Amino acid sequence: MITNTKCECGHQNPVGTVLCESCGKPIEDDGSAATLEMRYDGVARRSQKQNPTWLDRIWNFFSSVKIAVWLIIITLLGAALGTIYPQETTFLNLDPAVYYKQTYGTLGDIYYRLGLSRTYSSWWFIALLFMIGTSLVICSLDRVLPLYRALSKQQLRKHHSFLLRQRVAFDGVVPEQQDEASWLGGMAQTLRKRGYRIHVGEDGGAMLAEKHRFSRWGPYINHIGLIIFLLGVLMRSIPGWSMDQYVGFVEGQPTRIPNTDYWLLNEKFSVDFYKQDEMTPEFGARDRIVPKLYATDAVLYRCTADCAGPQPKLSEVHRQRIEVNKPLDYKGLKAYQFDYRETPMILSLKPSLKNRQTGEVYGSFELSMTKPADTYRVGPYTLKVKGFYPDFGLDDKGLPMTKSNDPKAPAFIFQVTGPGLPAGGAPYLYFARQIDKAQFHEQEINGALGQQFDISVGSMQDVKIASYTSYLNIRVDTAMPYIWTGAAISMIGLIMGFYWQHRRIWLRIDGRRLAIGAHTNKNWYGLRADLAGALGKNGIAVAPKSLETRGNRA
Amino acid sequence: MNLGSLSSTSLLIAFIIYNVSFLVFVLALAGKRWSGRDPEAHQRRWGKAGFALAVIGFAAQLVYFFTRWAEGGHIPTSNMYEFMTFLSMMVICAFLIVYLIYRTPVLGMFAMPVGIIIVAYASVFPSEVQPLIPALQSYWLKIHVTTAATGEAFFAVGFAGGLMYLLRTVDYQSDAAAARKERRGVECTLFVIVTLIAFVSAVFGFNAAGYKAQFAQQTLVTDKSGAQQQVTQKVDYVLPPIFAPNGAETVQMTPFLGMSKPLFEAPSWMEGANAGRKLNTVVWSLLGGVVLYGVLRLIARKPLGAAISPLLQGMDPDDLDEIGYRAIAIGYPIFTLGALIFAMIWAQEAWGRFWGWDPKEVWALITWLFYAAFLHLRLSRGWLGKRSAWLSVIGFLIVMFTLVGVNLVIAGLHSYAGV
Ligand code: HEM
Repeated sequence: MITNTKCECGHQNPVGTVLCESCGKPIEDDGSAATLEMRYDGVARRSQKQNPTWLDRIWNFFSSVKIAVWLIIITLLGAALGTIYPQETTFLNLDPAVYYKQTYGTLGDIYYRLGLSRTYSSWWFIALLFMIGTSLVICSLDRVLPLYRALSKQQLRKHHSFLLRQRVAFDGVVPEQQDEASWLGGMAQTLRKRGYRIHVGEDGGAMLAEKHRFSRWGPYINHIGLIIFLLGVLMRSIPGWSMDQYVGFVEGQPTRIPNTDYWLLNEKFSVDFYKQDEMTPEFGARDRIVPKLYATDAVLYRCTADCAGPQPKLSEVHRQRIEVNKPLDYKGLKAYQFDYRETPMILSLKPSLKNRQTGEVYGSFELSMTKPADTYRVGPYTLKVKGFYPDFGLDDKGLPMTKSNDPKAPAFIFQVTGPGLPAGGAPYLYFARQIDKAQFHEQEINGALGQQFDISVGSMQDVKIASYTSYLNIRVDTAMPYIWTGAAISMIGLIMGFYWQHRRIWLRIDGRRLAIGAHTNKNWYGLRADLAGALGKNGIAVAPKSLETRGNRA
Repeated sequence: MNLGSLSSTSLLIAFIIYNVSFLVFVLALAGKRWSGRDPEAHQRRWGKAGFALAVIGFAAQLVYFFTRWAEGGHIPTSNMYEFMTFLSMMVICAFLIVYLIYRTPVLGMFAMPVGIIIVAYASVFPSEVQPLIPALQSYWLKIHVTTAATGEAFFAVGFAGGLMYLLRTVDYQSDAAAARKERRGVECTLFVIVTLIAFVSAVFGFNAAGYKAQFAQQTLVTDKSGAQQQVTQKVDYVLPPIFAPNGAETVQMTPFLGMSKPLFEAPSWMEGANAGRKLNTVVWSLLGGVVLYGVLRLIARKPLGAAISPLLQGMDPDDLDEIGYRAIAIGYPIFTLGALIFAMIWAQEAWGRFWGWDPKEVWALITWLFYAAFLHLRLSRGWLGKRSAWLSVIGFLIVMFTLVGVNLVIAGLHSYAGV
């Protein structure tokens, strides 16, 4: 089908044009007086091609705002479905297959089986986001170029049926005792004062006053921001771009952050509660304990050599106090205060070897409860570590064993050699904690050796204790800058589009006849006020409301 | 007078002035047809008075806000009571701004009650100043909560605009199916509002009468080390227990209208002691809403919408349409910034993830998507007038569900304590 898109003003318009690109006359002027549809100034969009190919069809699908709204609504409903029951990700270690049925009955089971317990990572939800993204790209491209063209080559002298069929319009005559050119000049002056830019035609009989055209780009800038944001979200699934793990750090012991070359030392964990005088009396009377602060004094090390070995070489790279809302941040590696546990345990001791009979002290040695050395030399004696039980217990046969790897009740078997002992040495079972010494009868077990020697700590200064384990959430999110950039761009676009409006007033004089049409993308109230105000200043008194051509529709 | 009582007194004063302001706005419209008056002049004069009162009330609420801030040492937006009061303050603020643009008294008649009901609703929650737990100690949180509330406040004004439009344009004479459907929709919306009022009144009434019931329930709690423990949880009821928590023992209960023990027990799939209380609250609200609506209906002798709509005749629907839309257009960027962007920044600071699909977050997203759909339909599909008005009403119901319903029905990380 060939449609004639040549306008009477001589301009050849592309197929799909609604209003002539040049003079604004409706292409299919049926002589009606109904308000014109000014969307995109009536220009043709790419999606309005004739004889579309399959590629065009896809393009057309995604460029349709109707489809976009459907996509948005479906996404919205899908997101709502996901909040009916808690998502699986809320639980750390539960069997979802059992949990939903047990907790929420049959409905819960159906919910689980439909995959709604993983709504936000389901293929259909991600596909929806993907489609919104595609639609954003295509839709913006489809419109922004034609709109740009239309706005940058506006002809000043518009057709009467364009002017008078605007939603705000005026049809009258130039006031008496004024010639047209000076009246137009006065009008231009007034509108310029109101912030309009004035374009006057060469022949002098037409004018366009325009304001805040940039706000028309707001929605597109917003959409570009959204696209960047969505891309940023997608980038998070690139391997290595994001890490998320929870690691416990015992006080005083550098611990490796799994899968990295970093070690983190929790020097000290503090928890603090509000005191009575820090609460209002009313709340204080409730006798509730409210935490005030959780903090981990952390030191971050980077391993320089022997990273896999027992004695890695660490060099300090960063030192920071981590609090809730104040994560450690080192080159994109972040550590968030997540949780803590009271885990009183001995880290290391400095016991002395004594002669029980004479009281002579042979010396002392630094004994780690987690990684003891192979041998210790104390004065003339050598203590070889033959057995190490961090969490000492006895198995069914009464043999020593360890119940766990945490130094909850550390015990050591030393092979002691030196003066006055057999050549092969003699075994000595040593308990780190006083309470275990008594419970397991350390002295009796060690027999003759126990009569002769005593290994023990002198004072609390010789004991290093960790009271807390701080749990930190270790994260890397390389895509964050993209996400923030997208959000910022989007925000700029929104502000441009919503807090400014593109207002245009076209004015045309033929003889004494004056025709004005005005258009804005929002805030008709302001536009009417602008026009009525300017007319009033120039000798034509009109009520703003009377410029509205639509009248009361209801 | 200490800060605490200065603060609560100011709030009470603000509340009273708001109510007076609302009545003045109503009279500005209703009084137009009083004999011997120039309707225009009457409306202008009374409208000005209503506006001035709203400004004074707002100032009083600002006094409340800043004295409470001084008393607690942190900005008062950290629990449900404080948040709701703040929201109501912003609704009034948004109303004042939109009023300054359009200067129509009818907006006062619809927007003021929204603010008033939210203040009243706020006072249902425990009002004492609470110390801040570490997770809430972040200035991003404050920025997030305040901007989100400001955006929502403009949506509230948009809601008022939409409702105005509907009451102005819905046909109360016609017998056509479409008109009947619209009338029903408007009545339903008004019923929701009436229900909220009934709920607040019920809580106030029973509180004032010193009503109290307490239940003890055995619940299984998993502690940090993974061990399960039986714990006795106590739940306090403010409203007489139509539904007691499932499997709970009555510790104490003031009899009410000869009801000395709970009528029913919450179904067993409602886990936890609070679920029973929430169910009880919902049932009470619905009952209260039905009763109050019935009474109003008897007084009016016609649908409430039909009773209100004559006040709006003479308003230009196009203006109402624009007012409602404009409020939403002002609110949308603020909401985006507050409820999504600042929320993401804070979540990133606090939890190391900018988004976690927590129900509160999801509902903020749903609200945002809904208003995005609204804007697209309006701009590109020409959904003006009635359709747009319906969407602004529904949009605000979604906002309220996010604030109230999600706490009541779904509980996530963000939830504050409830009634
Ligand atoms: C969640 C996703 C989206 C958001 C938040 C969004 C937001 C917006 C906003 C705020 C406006 C300005 C509306 C106004 O000024 O009243 C707008 C305009 C628009 N949007 Fe979107 N949008 C989204 C997705 C889409 C999609 C997928 C399409 C694709 C078809 C689309 C097409 C448009 C068009 C054509 C406009 C009109 C632009 C103009 O004024 O020239 N939007 N959008």
